[in-house]
Amino acid sequence: MRETDCCLEAERIVLKAGRAPLTVRFRPGEIVGLAGLDGHGQEVFLEVLAGWRRPLAGEVRHSGRAGGAPRPIRNFRDAMRRGVAYLPRDRRRTGIFPALSILDNFAIASLNRDTRIGFISPRIRRERYSRFKDLLSIVADDPRRTITTLSGGNQQKVLLARLLVREPDVLLLNDPTRGVDVATRQLLYGVFKDLALKGMTIVILSSEIEEAIFLSNRVLVFRDSTLSAELSGVELDNDRVISAMFGRAA
Amino acid sequence: MTATAAKMKGQAERFRLPGIAGIGFAGLLFVVLLLVNVYLNPERFLPHSWGTLIGLAAPLISAALASTPAILSGRGGLDVSIGPLMGFVNAIVVTIIIAKWGLAGPVAVWVAAIVIGAAFGAFNGFLAAIVRIQPIVATLGTYLVLAGLTTTIVPSPTGTIPSWFSGLSGAWSFIPLLVIGLLWFALTRTPYYTALMATGSEDRAAFTSGLNVTLIRFLAYLVGGVFAGIAGLSLTALIGSADPNIGETYTLLAISSVALGGVSLAGGRGGFIGATIGALDIFLLQSALIYFNVSTFILQTAYGAILVLAVASTAMQKSSGGRDL
Repeated sequence: MRETDCCLEAERIVLKAGRAPLTVRFRPGEIVGLAGLDGHGQEVFLEVLAGWRRPLAGEVRHSGRAGGAPRPIRNFRDAMRRGVAYLPRDRRRTGIFPALSILDNFAIASLNRDTRIGFISPRIRRERYSRFKDLLSIVADDPRRTITTLSGGNQQKVLLARLLVREPDVLLLNDPTRGVDVATRQLLYGVFKDLALKGMTIVILSSEIEEAIFLSNRVLVFRDSTLSAELSGVELDNDRVISAMFGRAA
Repeated sequence: MTATAAKMKGQAERFRLPGIAGIGFAGLLFVVLLLVNVYLNPERFLPHSWGTLIGLAAPLISAALASTPAILSGRGGLDVSIGPLMGFVNAIVVTIIIAKWGLAGPVAVWVAAIVIGAAFGAFNGFLAAIVRIQPIVATLGTYLVLAGLTTTIVPSPTGTIPSWFSGLSGAWSFIPLLVIGLLWFALTRTPYYTALMATGSEDRAAFTSGLNVTLIRFLAYLVGGVFAGIAGLSLTALIGSADPNIGETYTLLAISSVALGGVSLAGGRGGFIGATIGALDIFLLQSALIYFNVSTFILQTAYGAILVLAVASTAMQKSSGGRDL
């Protein structure tokens, strides 16, 4: 019998023609790191998990918090609806809305939760925002100002809050600490660990090996668009990850 | 002193409405043109003639407002069929609804106008958002179809309208504008409006946020179509008959008004207040120049010059102000 508590599974995913298929299960409460040299398939894999792009073969299945048999994810919006949240890498192009306020940037993925008889209630929206402002210590005087008045780190926190407010059970992070200051990084690490403790599955692609090792329960190392190594426990150290990245046996 | 200045600056930014940004030039032009008009022809601007005055301006203002949603939706969003749609509504309402079917009451006329507007708005939305034909090409197709249909139904000016209908260009001329305004105001208070502005400014980010970008764009054309239907009523009230040649002229004037009013043709920026002021600028310019018996050719040249000047000044304002929108 399959593991009943498994909430996201990648089943025989082929990322590139002729490469070995990948089968990975992601469990609740687990932080999984994705590592690899740039362009070796880890980012494609994350985008496949998010329903953002289609694999050459195989499928990604997800079972909601309520359990039940895992069903395939059809596309990105389907994934989002079902509680798989994706934080893209390019904050400027696919993340923030520079012309909109901090508040609107926060609420854009959950607009229907602010409404009363179909109309937006600014009060409900501000209350929702203030919960996440405290949780993520967002430094912003006035949420009605445009998001571009914030530092990169705080913009990232707003984007994270945008996803978290939907209460996802899987959080896919594409290099979330890129261009973020050290203090904010520490805070984000704390938030991720805390979310995992509460049962969220977190998959984090990091361009920094130390970060992936520090955060993750296990790290999947990619090489040439397929899995090169899966490291956890005592095996999970810098040297082994680097060896796997370069395709050498550790 | 500096602290106070900084605080005041902060306050000013805080109370800047997103819809007001970028209409500086158009607003200034409006004040100047209004003063010129009042000086030239004070009689027209006295309270007792406000109804007629609004009735004269209403078709252009509503046409500008009808053009706005599609433009706001971004990625080349544009509906050039607004003018012919107004003309088509005018033709159908006068010759078929009122003359042929004898349904001369307000309910039938309003329902017909809104249904026709919605149908063609949905058709444009289908072509531009769902089939993803370039909006300018898709709506140009609709433009030609509608212009052809209108001329077929009404080869030359004809027909009359009941007295309640003529009232919509007199004492009650504010009603169609008010209806459009209220509908839009209600819309700005719904999640749809935030989604529309977000999609218009950054459609990739909108998709990443899980918004249904296609549906949002489709609805923008639909809403524009409904407004164009109502604009067709203002037009009909003003001319008092069915005229096949007049609707089309509104397309380019409406787009000029919208651009003049600081609504970005790139999408996601601007709003109804800007579009209204832009339309009023064009209207006041028109009435001032007509006072001097200037030929229509000069009138068009003046529109063009003002439009280029306004768009250029908005662009310069943005680049020198350093405000990162």
